[in-house]
Amino acid sequence: MSAPAVKPIRDSLYEQPGPKTRRRIVVATGIAAVLVLIGIALIIRQFYITGQLDPKYWLLFTRWTTWKFLLTGFMGTLKSAFVAGVLALAGGLILMWGRLSKITPVRWVARAITEFFRGVPSLLFVYFFFIVMPTVGIKMDSFWMITLPAAMSAAGACAEVFRAGVNAVPAGQVEAAKSLGMSKTKTMLLIQLPQAIRFVVPTLISQLVIVVKDTTLAYVVSYADLLQNGRVLIANYDALVSVYLVIAIIYIVLNYLINKASVAIANRSGVKLIDVSKVSS
Amino acid sequence: MTEQIPAVEFRHVDKHFGKLHVLRDINLSIMPGEVVVVIGPSGSGKSTLCRTVNRLETIDSGEIYIHGELLPEEGKALAAMRSKVGMVFQSFNLFAHKTVLDNVTMGPTQVLGVKKKEAEEQAMALLARVGVADQAKKVPAQLSGGQQQRVAIARSLAMRPEVMLFDEPTSALDPEMINEVLDVIVELAREGMTMMVVTHEMGFARRVADRVLFMADGVILEEATPDEFFSNPKTDRAREFLDSIAGH
Repeated sequence: MSAPAVKPIRDSLYEQPGPKTRRRIVVATGIAAVLVLIGIALIIRQFYITGQLDPKYWLLFTRWTTWKFLLTGFMGTLKSAFVAGVLALAGGLILMWGRLSKITPVRWVARAITEFFRGVPSLLFVYFFFIVMPTVGIKMDSFWMITLPAAMSAAGACAEVFRAGVNAVPAGQVEAAKSLGMSKTKTMLLIQLPQAIRFVVPTLISQLVIVVKDTTLAYVVSYADLLQNGRVLIANYDALVSVYLVIAIIYIVLNYLINKASVAIANRSGVKLIDVSKVSS
Repeated sequence: MTEQIPAVEFRHVDKHFGKLHVLRDINLSIMPGEVVVVIGPSGSGKSTLCRTVNRLETIDSGEIYIHGELLPEEGKALAAMRSKVGMVFQSFNLFAHKTVLDNVTMGPTQVLGVKKKEAEEQAMALLARVGVADQAKKVPAQLSGGQQQRVAIARSLAMRPEVMLFDEPTSALDPEMINEVLDVIVELAREGMTMMVVTHEMGFARRVADRVLFMADGVILEEATPDEFFSNPKTDRAREFLDSIAGH
């Protein structure tokens, strides 16, 4: 028996277009494409007029040292984002568990921390570790001054994602576990969490995109991430637009790949649990 | 032996869902080896009655005893009691992320502490008994409803339960799959399993029941042998109910 294909949501939400609609779509697509091309042409023209296309702004990208420097920054971004991501997952799990606790004070504390992490902008956390902590004699490495804030913000979000996932596990699964005599902890670890994680893996990975973007606050604490190293290049070569453009493209590609990965994983894990052909009305 | 002690006993059990009085002063004993079939219109409280036995539904007042022991209200004692009471659900509720084999070994290995290899041997024997041994490596979503429900029965049996509860085990099945599940239940009844079965399958009730309970509005209106009940119901309510389904 082959695994059933998961129907894309778009196909379920929209009707197949008829002949008139198809014609309209073709015309609209053509007009939109022309407008986009005009927009791009205008931007390039503006760059030309203001002298941004001057070779002196772009020749630095022919040098290996430039790329090596950017690569070092890129690795810094990856390292910080990866560690923050792992911490956020662990922290999110703990916070979620706390919020589902039977003990009221535990639930309150977990809720308060979750809301705090979620509600406060990452930049304030960065300032806290950068400015406040040293005043009480705690000096941290700049890596942690950017990684911890990114992790904290994401942990709050992850806690909510995990909670949504656990709540999405059908009640019957828990009842079946209970009826076998399983304890609450075992039910959570063996039945609820494994299924919940499958539901939310795509969302969690998308969360990683936000972590990556949060790490750009690294310039505040002079941690050598991609953006910070880019700023150094700008200062050295006086090449603001070209460097920012290249860096933006690198971020877009990275985050695009992360999204691709989340979709691929969603398709793989979704098939096993949900058989659309058997979901009756 | 323990002939005198009921396997399940309800004493003055009451339950409300908000304003709705779903169980009204239920008194009932199920003796070891007995098969009690509960029938009645939807909303009569029959599923709730079944689910109170392993406390998937709590009760407001009264007592439930299992083999003479008061049903514990929480914690390890409740879990231990639940492990001795098998339950088969209307919607199967197989663990969606586990293979068929793992579904059946889960209880013995995680709750009873049985070794994995031993649990797997036992599970394969049970799966063979309910006729789905060849599906052992699949996940539940790949099985038909009838196969899933038979796996669910095997999962319960793997705990070597003293009592089995069936909460409308065939109501979610396509018609052609109902009999393959009912046959397994009949077989269990023949082997002397103590059972409480909530069902809408009247032919099956007649075949398998030692005693039929007819429930309506949270009350057990009639208790009789299947022959007595189906040929000569005493209450108007039961007569209406039987007439309404006889048209099929």
